[in-house]
Amino acid sequence: MMPVTLFLALGAILFCIGLYGVLTRRHIVVVLVCIELMLNSVNINLVAFSSVGPVANVTGQVFSLFVITIAAAEVAVGLAILIALYRNRASIDVIKHDLLRSS
Amino acid sequence: MIQNAWLIPVFPLIAFVVLLLFGRVLREKAAYVGITALALSFIFAVAVLFERIGGETYTFVVDWITFGESTVTMGYEVTPLNAMMLIVVTLVSLVVHIFSRDYMHEDDRIHVFYSYLGLFSFSMLGLVLAPNILQLFIFWELVGLCSFLLVGFWYYKPEAASAAKKAFLTTRVGDVGLLIGIVLLFNATGSFEYADAFAAVEAGLISDTMVTVIALCIFLGAVGKSAQFPLHVWLPDAMEGPTPVSALIHAATMVAAGVYLVGVMYPFFLASDTALTIVAYVGAITAIFAATIALVNHDIKRILAYSTISQLGFMMLALGTAGYVAGLFHLMTHAFFKALLFLGAGSVIYGVHHRQDIREMGGLWRRMKVTSVTFLIGALAIAGIFPLAGFWSKEEIFASVLANGDPFLFAIALITAFMTAFYMFRLFFKAFTGEFRGDHEPHENNGFMTLPLIVLGILAVVAGFVNAPFTGHALEGFLTEGIAVGEQAHGGFGLAVVSLLIAIGGIFLAWVIYGKRSISEDFLPGKFRAAHRLLMNKYFMDELYTVVFVRPCVGIGKALYAIDRFIVDGIVNLLAVVTRSVGSGLGKRQTGQFQTYGVVTIIGGIAVVALAFMLRGYFG
Amino acid sequence: MSAYNANWSLMTPEIVLMILALVIFTLDFMTGMSRNKPFLGRLSILSLLATTVLVAVFNRETGQIGDMFVVDGFAMVLKIVILLGVAGVIAISMYYVDRHRDVYQGEYYSLLLFATLGAMLMVSSADLITLFVGLELLSISAYCLAGFKKYNGKSTEAAIKYVVLGGTASAFILYGMSFVYGLTGTTSLVDINEAVPTLFADYPYIMTMAIMFMIAGFGFKISVVPFHMWAPDVYEGAPTPVTSFLSVVSKIAGFGIVLRVFFVGFESVYDEWAFIFALLAAITMIVGNMIAIVQRKVKRLMAFSGVAQAGYLLVPVATMVSLDMTMSMITFYAVAYLLMTLGAFAIITLVTEDTEDDALTSFSGLYQRAPYLAIAMTIFLLSLAGLPITAGFFGKFYIFVGAIQAEMLWLAVIMIFTSIVSFFYYFGIMKQMFMRDPKPNDDQTLSVPKPVSAVVTISLVGTIGFGLLANVLTNYFNNLQWFF
Repeated sequence: MMPVTLFLALGAILFCIGLYGVLTRRHIVVVLVCIELMLNSVNINLVAFSSVGPVANVTGQVFSLFVITIAAAEVAVGLAILIALYRNRASIDVIKHDLLRSS
Repeated sequence: MIQNAWLIPVFPLIAFVVLLLFGRVLREKAAYVGITALALSFIFAVAVLFERIGGETYTFVVDWITFGESTVTMGYEVTPLNAMMLIVVTLVSLVVHIFSRDYMHEDDRIHVFYSYLGLFSFSMLGLVLAPNILQLFIFWELVGLCSFLLVGFWYYKPEAASAAKKAFLTTRVGDVGLLIGIVLLFNATGSFEYADAFAAVEAGLISDTMVTVIALCIFLGAVGKSAQFPLHVWLPDAMEGPTPVSALIHAATMVAAGVYLVGVMYPFFLASDTALTIVAYVGAITAIFAATIALVNHDIKRILAYSTISQLGFMMLALGTAGYVAGLFHLMTHAFFKALLFLGAGSVIYGVHHRQDIREMGGLWRRMKVTSVTFLIGALAIAGIFPLAGFWSKEEIFASVLANGDPFLFAIALITAFMTAFYMFRLFFKAFTGEFRGDHEPHENNGFMTLPLIVLGILAVVAGFVNAPFTGHALEGFLTEGIAVGEQAHGGFGLAVVSLLIAIGGIFLAWVIYGKRSISEDFLPGKFRAAHRLLMNKYFMDELYTVVFVRPCVGIGKALYAIDRFIVDGIVNLLAVVTRSVGSGLGKRQTGQFQTYGVVTIIGGIAVVALAFMLRGYFG
Repeated sequence: MSAYNANWSLMTPEIVLMILALVIFTLDFMTGMSRNKPFLGRLSILSLLATTVLVAVFNRETGQIGDMFVVDGFAMVLKIVILLGVAGVIAISMYYVDRHRDVYQGEYYSLLLFATLGAMLMVSSADLITLFVGLELLSISAYCLAGFKKYNGKSTEAAIKYVVLGGTASAFILYGMSFVYGLTGTTSLVDINEAVPTLFADYPYIMTMAIMFMIAGFGFKISVVPFHMWAPDVYEGAPTPVTSFLSVVSKIAGFGIVLRVFFVGFESVYDEWAFIFALLAAITMIVGNMIAIVQRKVKRLMAFSGVAQAGYLLVPVATMVSLDMTMSMITFYAVAYLLMTLGAFAIITLVTEDTEDDALTSFSGLYQRAPYLAIAMTIFLLSLAGLPITAGFFGKFYIFVGAIQAEMLWLAVIMIFTSIVSFFYYFGIMKQMFMRDPKPNDDQTLSVPKPVSAVVTISLVGTIGFGLLANVLTNYFNNLQWFF
């Protein structure tokens, strides 16, 4: 068993938890947090590969820094849109948002 | 002159552009723009024909598009076949242009009508001049589009709108076959040129199965365009368009494009006996099928439409039994006398104030002299009475079916010829003889409408002479020059007598029932009630198609949409149940719309992956 | 390191566009809050056109900056397509934002420009990191744009759906990428291509899974079935010019990234993934076209039509015979798609805004209200459906020939049959335009703003021009060196 496998397992578990959360939580903030969780599982993978992977090098850490930055930007935009949504509807419950359906 | 053949389609195109830009100003004068353009085209076409008779095939191409290694060309070509077609198309188009001036003058969109006619003439002439099959396909689609526009010209009539749509979509089915055939041909030969395809077949570069497949795919295109069974359903409905359009597009030119296509690709078809046999049988079935429907219909234009389908079937039958010249000869004669009949019908319809039911006509013989006489000539020609055009071409068809087809096909051909004579004279006797049964007194129309009838009437008499024995089968010598289409069969005196007797028999029966009225009109329908009902409903083909194709298509759309949106909710609820059983205590329907989408997406993704793996054999 | 003495001039267009975008952003601050600012729109179009010229000048020679940023034929052509596409979108938007006072003009235009920058980076990157940064720059700007009418419930709802699903898709892409990096030890696509064949032999399941994750994520960005569910809702809710941006620019850039990753990074294992694309293409064409039949709202219809078009574009990916042919097919169709979709959206924006209704019936009697628009729309729709003599026909025909040459007859037949089905729903719009009378409370004539009519005319000329003279493009593409 490669040493990296355990880290990958952790990453996979985090990814699944995140995905499950995205698909089932009704509070949009929690949904956004779950997306963050999925992205962080990617970071774990990258960093693990970077230090104990089969071809360990520093690129993975650079990659994970980019991922962290972009995830922050994405969540910032997500929250901004959430606020706009809340002003329009006074609710951040995902079930209530289904104006967009076909005739 | 022959180098300037490209001008022939350009004149109508100029007319189209002029009318598009200045149509609103010109209004009724639009007719003269169209007539001038077509007259010029006709003069050029005649000049080109005469030059071609003495000369050689002229081809002019430039490189157009490169597909990988091979280059597609664009240009024009004058072969004997398309020199003949140019005459037919320009002449019929010209007379229809003249005829429409009065027929359409009450319509305030007459300039639009003429611009469409110009566009159609351009496309049809372009189709004929195309030097390769890809260019032909492009014009093929364009004529389809023009047909759509013209059938739906009176779009405010719901029947016209839906007929236009039906015509377009039904022929599209055939076009798919044609497109597949073209691309398969390209794949097999690396070229779209006719000559390369024939050379490849001759050299045996294409496997026999492939030749058959390609030929049948191309034939499917012809079936759609030429309204052959089972894609014929659009043509009768297309009669919702203005009558001159029916004469031009749905009788003489566009519907004949399918026959022309088979003619152009004929050496290719000759290489596959299977394909030829199928062509012959489809033609024969179409011929008799449509003729039976024409026996009972009451709409003057629809009778002619079914007659057109039936005659196109005859042409296919001829081509399918190695009668290359016979099929194309009939194409030419049919173009003249069917255009004559349609314009005659148009004249009648105009004369009786836009009625089309033959039960509301009658007694027109005395009231509309020119129309009646020319219509009678047309009817005699299509029935195949000596010495009119239809007699010569039909006899050639019989000869080739007898020589190369089986007895069954020959029997069908004879029966259909009998029916043809019968239904045409049923129409003639009901509409032109006896007492007038309508409410507005009909009147003869003026010169713009009768002149075309007279011109076509003369042609319906003399056009057959070009391939008669006493002119030494001149057309045959011309058409078969430089193209390997095999020996053409000729009938003798005996066959001519047989075909003449059959035609006279049909006319006689029609006269007995509808002229002399010795037998009641209702006698036969009463005897064969079920058959009559079947024929009145056109074998229920439309209903069948609605059930088999249209509804499932919409149904599948709805079903997929339902899966896309609603059935998914079920999956989500299932997820909620699972969640609850895990113990988080959540209630029913816990997720929002986008989460539903997420779930579908993931399930769909997994399904795709699983399917891909399964097909690749990863699971063992 | 090589990056210091690299040829930075290759990046001139991107740098210039970034500066111009920031200038427009700043100009907006300096000119107050709520005034109408048409000059910003014009300035944005000028910036884009200037950048297009720069691309044509500086990106003609191939080159690269430290394995990260490459300039080659593919990058150049796609950049030009994207830049012109955005210029068209902005021309449409100028009409739109004038009518909607709640849209901040400066931010709107600069966001569009930033998104363009992201798209340009995407198609030029040869490294997973740059590629991802470009993709996110495009996506995040697009999220903001989708919710730009912030007092409109539908618009913000579309935006939140887009953010959540788009973020998830990004996570999928990254998760796949993390494995690719981990096993190859590099993020450079060229190096990955050298390493993958042995990796596929050693770890077939992990590699296949990594590729699947990336396909799922990219499939979302280009809205391929079954990853298309977001598209109709977001298209419907977003402001119409933004919809046109999403369906034209965002989709073409998404294809750019797919092609770059799979034809540069995984070209050596083509057989491992081509079949999945064939399957996706087939499902996409069938589902997209079938569902479009039952749509009653024009933007949703265009969404499904766009899904179907993405399916056609995937066919050459799955049926490669030679790379050059495939690339030239896809790029040709991308150009055709740009022209016909942009033209159609220009008209849709005008009509839906004028009637304040996005049902198909808003098109009723358009022929009587604005004959030119009705005829132009008909030609765009016929091109989308694939009727000669339009660019759409040649694009489809080209793809069709390619599919037959690759002996994927089943895919070719599905393509051609679904394109017949598409006539059904495009006819629906045509029927409204020509065969219905205008609604009583609509104006008898529809006045056409200049920028919109310019977009329509250019698209119309292009659609017909490239249909007649397709060789202008194909000859050029045939001599192009696609990948560095």
